[in-house]
Amino acid sequence: MEIDGNTLVFIIVILFLFFSTPGGDGVSSQYEFNQLQRFKQQFQTEHDVFLNMTHTDNFRNITGFKLSYQDMLNNPLQNATYPLPGKGYDRWLPNQNYMVLPNEVIDTINSQVWNTSNGNTLNIFPPNITSTLLGKINVVSNSKYEKIRMPIPRFYEPANDFSEDIPPEGETYWSDWPSYGELHNVTFQHGEIAIQITHMNNLQNSNNYFRRNFINKESDRWKLLNLQIDFSDKTEKEKHSISSKAVYDIQRGRILSISQSSKFHSLFALPHYMSLQDDYDKEIFNDVKQLVDEFWNFTDYTDVMTMNDVQDAYDSANLKCEYMTFLQLEPWNQYTKDQIKLIDDELNWPLGRPVNLSSLPPINVVSGLLYSPDCGLRLAINDVKGKRYELKIMSIRTHLMFGIVLFAAQIYLLLTQMHHTNTPSMVNKISFYCFSMINLVDGSLATLYFVAASVVPELYLPLVISAFSCFILASIFEIRYLISIYASQVNEQNVGIANLLRGSTGIYDENRPRPAFIPDEGSIGGSLYGRFFFTLIIFTFLILSSISWPRQLRMIFEYILIFILNSYWIPQIFRNAVKGIPSRRERTRATNGGNRNQNKMPLLWSFVIGTTIIRSLPVIYVFTYSSNVFRHHKDVRFVVFLSLWLLFQISVLYSQDILGSRWFLPQHTIPEGYSYFKPLSNQYIVEHGGGTVENTVDCAICMSDVPIYIEEIPETHKVDQHTYMVTPCNHVFHTSCLENWMSYKLQCPVCRSPLPPL
Amino acid sequence: MSSSKRIAKELSDLERDPPTSCSAGPVGDDLYHWQASIMGPADSPYAGGVFFLSIHFPTDYPFKPPKISFTTKIYHPNINANGNICLDILKDQWSPALTLSKVLLSICSLLTDANPDDPLVPEIAHIYKTDRSKYEATAREWTKKYAV
Repeated sequence: MEIDGNTLVFIIVILFLFFSTPGGDGVSSQYEFNQLQRFKQQFQTEHDVFLNMTHTDNFRNITGFKLSYQDMLNNPLQNATYPLPGKGYDRWLPNQNYMVLPNEVIDTINSQVWNTSNGNTLNIFPPNITSTLLGKINVVSNSKYEKIRMPIPRFYEPANDFSEDIPPEGETYWSDWPSYGELHNVTFQHGEIAIQITHMNNLQNSNNYFRRNFINKESDRWKLLNLQIDFSDKTEKEKHSISSKAVYDIQRGRILSISQSSKFHSLFALPHYMSLQDDYDKEIFNDVKQLVDEFWNFTDYTDVMTMNDVQDAYDSANLKCEYMTFLQLEPWNQYTKDQIKLIDDELNWPLGRPVNLSSLPPINVVSGLLYSPDCGLRLAINDVKGKRYELKIMSIRTHLMFGIVLFAAQIYLLLTQMHHTNTPSMVNKISFYCFSMINLVDGSLATLYFVAASVVPELYLPLVISAFSCFILASIFEIRYLISIYASQVNEQNVGIANLLRGSTGIYDENRPRPAFIPDEGSIGGSLYGRFFFTLIIFTFLILSSISWPRQLRMIFEYILIFILNSYWIPQIFRNAVKGIPSRRERTRATNGGNRNQNKMPLLWSFVIGTTIIRSLPVIYVFTYSSNVFRHHKDVRFVVFLSLWLLFQISVLYSQDILGSRWFLPQHTIPEGYSYFKPLSNQYIVEHGGGTVENTVDCAICMSDVPIYIEEIPETHKVDQHTYMVTPCNHVFHTSCLENWMSYKLQCPVCRSPLPPL
Repeated sequence: MSSSKRIAKELSDLERDPPTSCSAGPVGDDLYHWQASIMGPADSPYAGGVFFLSIHFPTDYPFKPPKISFTTKIYHPNINANGNICLDILKDQWSPALTLSKVLLSICSLLTDANPDDPLVPEIAHIYKTDRSKYEATAREWTKKYAV
């Protein structure tokens, strides 16, 4: 390759862009550099304060905890400054004088949430609770409580102009922001909540790859979790999402999670808020403090901070309320500690240990409370539970395996169907759109599997196998079949429906020879594959984007889509009517009469029934089995409706088999179809030349004479008109010769005009 | 079998009315294996050469095309070193109304008018399109060397 000046410049520009992109910390200007330094410095100072804190100390200048609820009650316009005049910093008690929670909420937590295991150390809780829990959430109050004022340090603000070098000093309060109140308040009463719990065991240390696992000295007592809490109203118009660190008290089954942002540095508050009892516990405080500090040291908390963290902290402070979440788990007292360990090992490394995983109880949150100190919101959750993540993965895996079996069955059925229609005349009767719809579903399923495989790494292998089998079905077998269907119907394009009903594929005009353009299967295949992948991409994008639509719209879309995609026999019913397949009795008579039977029903009954069952099983499962793995809602009425619709389609197909495919069309609308058996006139021989004997013509296929029936000549009347066929382009062949050729190609051997299928 | 009847018919037609520039007939007793020869057309660089072809009829002839290949080496954009011929009527444009003599005539006209846009040997097609005199010289040379 020659490198000219332009290419060189281009390469240099690319290299420049490549090397000049901001480094690992994402800093791209002096201002941002200063911002990041301030950010780190702030956390560092607060961490120093945190290290010196004891269980009897109040928070000093930790961001977000400078004011207590009582301070706000005393003076609602109080500024959060440290030190606050007249405030005692050497004392701490779990009440509203010192906490950001009102006494009422603290009491509720003590009496209703964290009450089950008070003083009772006999309860046993599972140490590993990775799962996704689903349940209901109710707003208890969104206006009753005083809102704690939490300032955002001004250095977080993005630079206003290029000259700024030093981030501004000072603090701003949320009340200055116009967006406040629109995004923050929870306006619905009843909603749904999903809590996704993951353990921080597999934290990766960016500096030390050998120290993979988070070193938690008391991992049988305390665990750090990541909590992703999403809640919304039932129509999903209003969505809230909290992503936070949490501490799990394994002995008492309590989870405390506090969100963090630039106005609320909650990491340092975890020890104080873990214990709300009056007999405030020094041990708990020290344990949690040690846990937090271990986490801090392990992750090199401030060293690995990037500009992204600064922006995220600023954005979530700006747009979201801070939430404190208190959860109480249900104990697993039916198991001993050893049994739970065994269950855990079996779930992580399935070796067939003697445990009954199917009877494993769900992770169940008995009671829970969400409180937002800066928005004064209190929410209660109930009936929140979910299976262990590993169990869920296992059950999805079995479902996927079952799906692969379905694909295999579908491939087998398709192969028998392809074998059944092995001549162009038979393939011609198959509806292209019927198989296009089936193909579209399979193809988009394959791409969705591929997408899912990249999202769920635990299921990579089964998902990829499913995607692959689905892809083979769609893009090898079905497209192959579609190509032959398309090739056999290519002549019918631009032909009106009335002509098609008549069974002819165009006007045969002796004076105007039709160009015999029949593209070969290679070029058809090329264009069909192009179309297939194009539709597939559009369709998959549509489905993927529909996931983020509001529920109302999404459900309408889903129902309509499932209904349309389950109407796949409708095009075949139309195709049958167009092609005019005679009734079963007539077909039997024709077979007995020695006529070669081309008039079979185009679709095998085993294929129709099998395909319908294979395709409706997943839909029925998802819509009727309420605890299905896809978290899909239950709707039996829709399934019944859909089954009836499919049944209707199949019964119409069956009636076409029995009564003839046009029984529902009025007699007069059905034009006479093209008949290959027609008498010829004397004129024909004069024009076309005869064979070697009188009153015969030459069959171009076997090159021997065809005796023909000529109306004017009585001697020829003993000739059976069924021994020869006359094409629409007026060429005569022996019936056996032409039928034989038509099983290869629907084209006149002499003039290459298209032939109507038998 | 209908295919042998039709081949026999073609053979008798060929004997009764042989085409001017080519001849064909079965090799030994096997009706399905023929040999044919084509005289190089006078207005082509193949003039003066005699080219031999081997012909195999499939059992489902005439519904499938016969397999025809050159046994004499020939320098042509649509005929490769193994003697395979790139001709549409021998592939997907086959029609049962075609006969061997018609196919041989088509091959003759292919010798006169090559189809460089659908080549089997792209190098020869390139020379054919860019430097016709060089192509003709080489074709003449090959004809003299292998086909006379």
